Amino acid sequence: MKCEEAEELISALADNELSDRERSSVEGHLRDCPRCQRAYEWHQSLNSEIRTVSASVVAPIDLRQRIVSDQRTMPKEAESNSRGKLIIGLQPFLRPAFASAFLVILLISIFFLMRRPSQPISLTALQIREKIDEGEIPLQKATNTDELHDSLRRAVDGKFGPLGYDFSPLGVKPVGGTVEEVNGRQMLVAVFRGNGLSITCFTFLGTEEDAPKNATVFFDPETRIRFYSFSRNGLNAVLHREGNVICILVSNMPPEELLSLVKTSSPHKNRHARTG
Amino acid sequence: MHLLNSSLVYVMHSSMARGKETRDEEKEKFSHEATTHLDHLYRVALYLAKESNEAKDLVQETYSRALGSYKQFTPGTNMKAWLTTILYNFFFHLRNQKKKWISLENNFKEDEGPSDYCEQVPTENPGPETHILLKELKGKITDVLDKIPEEFRLPIILVVMGDFSYEEAAEILSCPVGTIRSRLFRGRKLVYKELREYMGIKE
Repeated sequence: MKCEEAEELISALADNELSDRERSSVEGHLRDCPRCQRAYEWHQSLNSEIRTVSASVVAPIDLRQRIVSDQRTMPKEAESNSRGKLIIGLQPFLRPAFASAFLVILLISIFFLMRRPSQPISLTALQIREKIDEGEIPLQKATNTDELHDSLRRAVDGKFGPLGYDFSPLGVKPVGGTVEEVNGRQMLVAVFRGNGLSITCFTFLGTEEDAPKNATVFFDPETRIRFYSFSRNGLNAVLHREGNVICILVSNMPPEELLSLVKTSSPHKNRHARTG
Repeated sequence: MHLLNSSLVYVMHSSMARGKETRDEEKEKFSHEATTHLDHLYRVALYLAKESNEAKDLVQETYSRALGSYKQFTPGTNMKAWLTTILYNFFFHLRNQKKKWISLENNFKEDEGPSDYCEQVPTENPGPETHILLKELKGKITDVLDKIPEEFRLPIILVVMGDFSYEEAAEILSCPVGTIRSRLFRGRKLVYKELREYMGIKE
């Protein structure tokens, strides 16, 4: 056996991954070749060193706690057990009362489930944008971004405000804004137009659960922000969260360009966000 | 009549509760077994992500996904390999998203594809200085491993750190066993090259 033929087999020998035939063939070569014997020892030493180093790495305590307390990860042992015991341990005369209470809760749940809005707030934002384009929703005019943002912020008593996007490099300027109420939640709407582009910025208090279920998620490892991209009727949208504020940009721009715009001109870089 | 109906509801509820209890017990058993692999998963995640916070996110998401699909796991089979596959697939998914961002920033230029790492693999066998190199570089091995391309680092992580067989590693990475064998060999040679460079030893 030549050294070139033995090389890869020597590496596999160090991992104990050779067949009996291969093993005896390589071991025969190693006895006659000090150079390959050295290579074999190198592979073994390296394995041993890597194992020693990696064995010293253990999961941090906070990760263990995160996993144990993550309800998606661990069933709530104590709660489920105690609930089981409660039902089984009830006095017989209390059982019908318990069952009635359960039935009432069930009916109330069904009632609320039926009342649940059929679409997420993010898709309603797209509908609002369509209505604005068709002139069905009037806008309070504005020519200055700061002025527009301040007036929108005042409209919700300063609880939150639009994120500080600046689209002026694209030649896109503020046109106006309005405040819409969707399922009891206030939504700030800022409209920007110019250069054939139209961008509508929606801001409201919420979570990432407000994104449509079929949105494509893009994770930006630099800022560790998830961006949700979705489209409807030729309009493209990107949703992301800044603290407890959700921002959706809706535009007629292609989705890739809109994503890029959100990332490059996003206020999380400039820290203009006012999430008070 | 009222009592009869109530009893019926009670019976239904009791059996539902028992069903839930069984499911919870199954889940709990699965969770407890899964957490015995926590150190291993974190280790793999750390060497994949090269960063502790990202590694923690990877592991937490792995457990969440594993529990969400625990019924797909066949009891008695290799849970460690199953969890590692979930972890790797999630990492791969995130990395692809990262690539999308990079390609977006490059004005949607086409991905140039992986470079030919084979060209980086040294041709010579390790020399007599190898033991000195390792002795000197104890504790630096992590930095050196981080420097070698992912396609060579992954088999080392799985086989050497994770104690997986070539066959198991091939299954996790969805590639032939021969590829694992060849990449381990080349990967070790690259580690050797990096160690030499670390020590400032010229060719």
